[in-house]
Amino acid sequence: MNTELLNEISEKLQRGKAKDVSALVNQALEEGIAPDVILNDALVVGMNIVGEKFRSNEVFVPEVLVAARAMNAGLKILNPVLADAGVEPIGTAVICTVKGDMHDIGKNLVRMMIEGQGIKCVDLGVDAAPEAVVAAVKENNAQLVCLSALLTTTMGGQRDVIEALCEAGIRDTVRVMVGGAPVTKEWADDIGADCYTLDAASAAKEAKRLILEMKKG
Amino acid sequence: MKLTASERFRRYLAGEEVDRMPVIEWAPWWNLTVERWKSDGLPAEHAGYEALQAYFGLDKCLQTSVSCKTAQTPAPPGHGLGIMEEEDDYDNTVRPTLFPAYETMFPAGFFDALQASRDRGDTIRFFTVEGFFWYPRTLFGIENHLYSFYDYPELYKRICNEYADWLVGLFHYVFSRFRFDFMSFAEDMSYNNGPMISRAAFDEFLAPFYRKVIPVIHEYGVPVFIDSDGDITLAVDWYADVGADGMFPLERQAGVDVSLYLDKQPDMAFIGHFDKMCMKFGADAIRAEFERILPSMQRGKVIASVDHQTPPDVPLDTYRDYVALLREYAEMATHKDTEISACPVYR
Ligand code: B12
Repeated sequence: MNTELLNEISEKLQRGKAKDVSALVNQALEEGIAPDVILNDALVVGMNIVGEKFRSNEVFVPEVLVAARAMNAGLKILNPVLADAGVEPIGTAVICTVKGDMHDIGKNLVRMMIEGQGIKCVDLGVDAAPEAVVAAVKENNAQLVCLSALLTTTMGGQRDVIEALCEAGIRDTVRVMVGGAPVTKEWADDIGADCYTLDAASAAKEAKRLILEMKKG
Repeated sequence: MKLTASERFRRYLAGEEVDRMPVIEWAPWWNLTVERWKSDGLPAEHAGYEALQAYFGLDKCLQTSVSCKTAQTPAPPGHGLGIMEEEDDYDNTVRPTLFPAYETMFPAGFFDALQASRDRGDTIRFFTVEGFFWYPRTLFGIENHLYSFYDYPELYKRICNEYADWLVGLFHYVFSRFRFDFMSFAEDMSYNNGPMISRAAFDEFLAPFYRKVIPVIHEYGVPVFIDSDGDITLAVDWYADVGADGMFPLERQAGVDVSLYLDKQPDMAFIGHFDKMCMKFGADAIRAEFERILPSMQRGKVIASVDHQTPPDVPLDTYRDYVALLREYAEMATHKDTEISACPVYR
């Protein structure tokens, strides 16, 4: 297999070169490389490297955004091919910033990184009510809920969502991950969330782990 | 030693002896917090920005904020969105509405009134404009701004360059009429894990414009502070390099430790750093937090103050305890017999 080409796709993705990524993904498909191999060994690998570098302040928010855009350019070509080949996304996550909170830069980065793992994300945006999360989980058969909160005054909204999931009788069908500047591991444990991470790269890794765990049952 | 609020502030930043540290709040209070305090018994007539400072017995510290946008400038269509969709929008719909003539920006008698309050000696005045990270963000929108470093680098620089030219004129106009005690650039370019942009991006997109305007502000003896939340441990050096005199609010939750900044940037002054998150735990926790900052207050130009707005989980009585302790600790930071360097503006 043409590992050089896969590496090149990953390189271009890391540098945010969306057009190059599109062209190279097309080329890889023409060369007969399987779509899931392109996804996992080029796009996901590239996005993981970007996530790690972001965590260690080697690259910053704009670099992550343009890399994610390049990833999406690749996915746009790959997704139909993956679907035709019967390759399903690893799972589905519902993500939002909780009620009363308008901060979304972090939430968007987390979404992009999670998508970068081949997970489908349903993004409810900012200021999302617990009922909206419950409805989206049901509608999309999601395995994961990701809740962002940047304010001490809105963190309680993460608990409200967990309570709403319990009340709707679907708490056991999903894993709940929380994050945002004021959020801590203690808070996550306190409100009965399943996972907390400090940054988007770790969030993506944990998302994959939680979904696979969930699917195993 | 009897000092006016303004003299005390200047001496503190110049590394000279003072009677005590200035006792200030730089930000207006969070509306949710004020609402809460009203239900705790704060009389409504004291709830305004200026009235509250007097009510709590703080040194008055009042902000004059101006923008290069006008009533004609398009409003963002939604939260966080920009006012330009296409590159051409800057020239076609935005730029013609920017950069008002300076004479039209201030009401008659404005500077005389400021001078009169300076002569009474009771008020610190600061002047605020948007910085070279924040300002383009208001035009591009929050997310597009972050893409713009890659998508529209030339437009970004042109936007900042034209703004810097307008600011140079503004600073001459304003500071020749009244010497504000300090000025601040609103930036908010950091978050819990550090700056949102790289040093390379800072050097290319922000630094040239700061280098253009800061010397003009310094000509008038006005110290320049950069206002950025989040962890500014890297950014503090970047802003030092372009000539800034200080930064605030040094957010504790984001992991800032001002004592390290005093080591690496001893010429700079720092306002804030008091962990707003500890206030809800009451007077003992507040005292412990002042004990943490006190050594830095004593060996550098640190003006302890809430590190951004007091959150609504702090009862009115607890905030009163905070102010009482702030006054108590302020007395311990006189810089008597202490060798402290002056901010760059005073050199
Ligand atoms: C930019 C900003 C704003 C922008 C938001 C723009 C936008 N569209 O997002 C604006 C100017 C609008 C704003 C408004 C306000 N803000 Co603000 N804001 C910030 C600032 C400076 C940076 C936030 C940010 O964008 N970070 C960048 C991203 C990349 O980081 P992040 O969000 O933390 O996300 C990372 C991790 O946390 C994690 N993560 C995030 N979400 C999730 C979710 C999951 C599931 C996981 C696993 C991980 C995870 O991964 C991300 C990437 O690694 C912070 C300061 C700070 N220390 O964070 C203040 C801050 C959050 N704001 C604050 C305040 C007070 C406000 C206002 C109330 C101010 C006011 N009085 O009006 C309003 C509130 C508006 C509202 N209702 O939401 C305070 C909150 C204090 C408190 N008591 O909680 C802060 C901490 C500032 C401070 N110094 O105190 N703000």
